[in-house]
Amino acid sequence: MLIHLPIAQIAVDPLILIAIGGLVGFLSGLFGVGGGFLLTPLLIFYGVPAAVAVSTQANQVLATSIAGVSAHWRERQVDTRLGTLMLMGGLAGSTVGVGVFSLLKYFGVVDATIAVLYIVFLGVIGGLMAWESVGALGGSGGDPGRRTRLRVWMRSLPMKRRFPRSGLYISILPPIGIGFFVGVLAAVLGVGGGFVLAPAMVYLLGVPTRVMVGTSLFQIIFLTAYVTFLQATFNGTVDLVLAAVLMIGGVIGARYGAMAGRKLKAAQLRLLLALLVLAIAGRLVYELYVAPTPEYRLEEST
Amino acid sequence: MRFRFLAFALAALIVPQATAQRVDGADKPFMAAGLAEDIVEVKVNYSGSRIVLFATAPQPENDTSGMAVALIGPMAPQKMIHRTAAGDQTIEFVAAPLVFAVGAEPQVATSVAPEVMIEAGLNAQASAMPRSNQLLSPDLDKWRAAFVDLKMQQGLYSFSDTTIERLDGGLRRAKIALPLNAPPGEYRIRAVAFRNGAPVGESEQVLTLVRSGLDATLFDLSRQHGLIYGFVAVLLGVGVGGIAAWFGRK
Repeated sequence: MLIHLPIAQIAVDPLILIAIGGLVGFLSGLFGVGGGFLLTPLLIFYGVPAAVAVSTQANQVLATSIAGVSAHWRERQVDTRLGTLMLMGGLAGSTVGVGVFSLLKYFGVVDATIAVLYIVFLGVIGGLMAWESVGALGGSGGDPGRRTRLRVWMRSLPMKRRFPRSGLYISILPPIGIGFFVGVLAAVLGVGGGFVLAPAMVYLLGVPTRVMVGTSLFQIIFLTAYVTFLQATFNGTVDLVLAAVLMIGGVIGARYGAMAGRKLKAAQLRLLLALLVLAIAGRLVYELYVAPTPEYRLEEST
Repeated sequence: MRFRFLAFALAALIVPQATAQRVDGADKPFMAAGLAEDIVEVKVNYSGSRIVLFATAPQPENDTSGMAVALIGPMAPQKMIHRTAAGDQTIEFVAAPLVFAVGAEPQVATSVAPEVMIEAGLNAQASAMPRSNQLLSPDLDKWRAAFVDLKMQQGLYSFSDTTIERLDGGLRRAKIALPLNAPPGEYRIRAVAFRNGAPVGESEQVLTLVRSGLDATLFDLSRQHGLIYGFVAVLLGVGVGGIAAWFGRK
């Protein structure tokens, strides 16, 4: 059975989309990331146009994040004060990012830019997380956020505030800056930003991993809602049928992911996430540079 | 999501003298053909759909008599990129059908030469018209073949999903598969009868594919009322997520 996607203008198997949504939702609940960094490449691999994949997954991540954050909220693992600061930066960054996305679309380089940026970010972040997590599992360190030089430098920044839920006393500038950067990524790459936000919160701000998960999802909810609205309104690339099908699997997977996450250690969580990130990066590298490029390809006429 | 086919000028098309076109020569009889319904509603999101065409072949018939039908359209400019060692080369077809589905009875496939099929307007490659400066290129056949291959990969060109049944009195019933991702626009349905390897009659009908139902509503909303579409998109995400969170507490 196939369904037709009105915006993507392709026919797809809804069961495959539900399975993709379920997998991403599970990982979202498990790691506290929106899952967009995984969902966008998977949709592109499945044949959804990159512009539609980027925009639509933000809508799906919105739903799974709401479903995922509820459990963390009840367990008081959401630092709303820190999340709100990051959100302020995120909204500004995503506004800039949607403008950048429009420019890339105008010049016809959206697909290539998205692929290259994904490789760079996934490769760097996945590599760093894997390296640190292996060290932590081997007993060579505790919480990595407590000992990085960057964090020492950040302690010297002005405008300090207390964040009791995270047990931090830090400047508000780094959270806003991180939020802005993630906002740009959210719009350009179609990600909630969790795969950047999660390590940034742990390594740069020193947020405990358990609080990081809930707070990351909290921020992602508002950011993806904003990005969804902007992409749907100004670029017309959000496919509601695609999003609805993905959500069905996503929200179910998110619940089970959150339950599974409570049974794993923080370092194990980070290592698993790192391996996943590296696997996606490897697949993208293969698609872009190793897999044979077709001699002919069709291009939409304007 | 539903597509609705509206057959325009059907009454005229059913009357052979009013619509049929001669392929060549003046001695070929015209052929009567008509769609099963003048308005065909199909739900393409569940099982796909087929367009049913009835046509009567010119008499008398012999062992080589047969019919070929094709769904062609809508015509649109299309670009293809050819990757070469010197860089990408753009090949532009100023007019080529977005959808091309053709089928023929077995005896037609064995008795009709490819050139005749081209002249009858039933060859997918020949239907792609290049720019004037690329018309005489020695690579044109290669480009057209690549173009058809790519369209087949998209599921928009088909050469095996059309069936033709022979009924009594030279009547044929053709079922043409409509691709799920067929774009809206104006389509032609051509039916050509052959005898002894040559066309002996043809008929052509024009259909307009328009959107209707949820698919059309969402598409139009996204294009014409982006602000509302944006709100709907956010509400969908919040609603589904909220419901899931509520169930999670149970």
